[in-house]
Amino acid sequence: MEAESRKRALQYFFDKVVAPMGFKFTPDAKLKDFLLEQEVILERKHGIPFCPCQPMRHDRARDMKIVCPCIPFHREHFDAIKRCWCGLFVHQDVIDPDSLPQLPPKDAGLE
Amino acid sequence: MSDKFIRAISTDEIAPGGMKTVEIEGQEIVICNCGGTYYAIQRRCGHMNAPLEMGTLDGKFVTCGMHCAQFDVTTGQALCGPVPADLGTEPLPPKAAAFLQRASTQMEHVRTESIRRYESKIEAGWVLVAL
Repeated sequence: MEAESRKRALQYFFDKVVAPMGFKFTPDAKLKDFLLEQEVILERKHGIPFCPCQPMRHDRARDMKIVCPCIPFHREHFDAIKRCWCGLFVHQDVIDPDSLPQLPPKDAGLE
Repeated sequence: MSDKFIRAISTDEIAPGGMKTVEIEGQEIVICNCGGTYYAIQRRCGHMNAPLEMGTLDGKFVTCGMHCAQFDVTTGQALCGPVPADLGTEPLPPKAAAFLQRASTQMEHVRTESIRRYESKIEAGWVLVAL
């Protein structure tokens, strides 16, 4: 299976999920390509495109919450920092993703 | 590839986003209507032979209904293999566990292959397919 085709397919499916939630792919094309590539590798290994920046716990219920796009499971935090943890998705109004601070929930005023 | 096109199905028989199976000269073919563009692919999934028209078509991607292997209908290329099933956390009865163990040993060697895409064209309201 060819990685480029799979990356394009993931992009198509993810976009349909994240757009109604007010998110879009990061405008940083290089980062987007890198993260999608990692997801393709994870999908080949585990059968599921897990978030590349989160550790798997081998506990299905918990691991399902880091299947990309994991926005619905961590919406409050992502809305507060205007991006997802790995940065593949940002709020639709974000132009410069590098300007977004990556705050833990406590510092984002959520705990 | 042959340039002999054969009438497969009338274009109005498949709604956009839909799929329908036809059999032409013994070959099972699924015609996919991708928003008014028609593609013809082999009916059998490249993973475990399940009928692809029983899956879903989204854009140019078909997902098998059996194990969720995905294919690009414009090329026939396999995009991903099966999605692992959720077996739950409850311990299985010994016989079922032994069967699953045996089956999963063999499943490790099952590969998801790309599927055949047939040349197709529209003529006078018909989808024509080249075998």
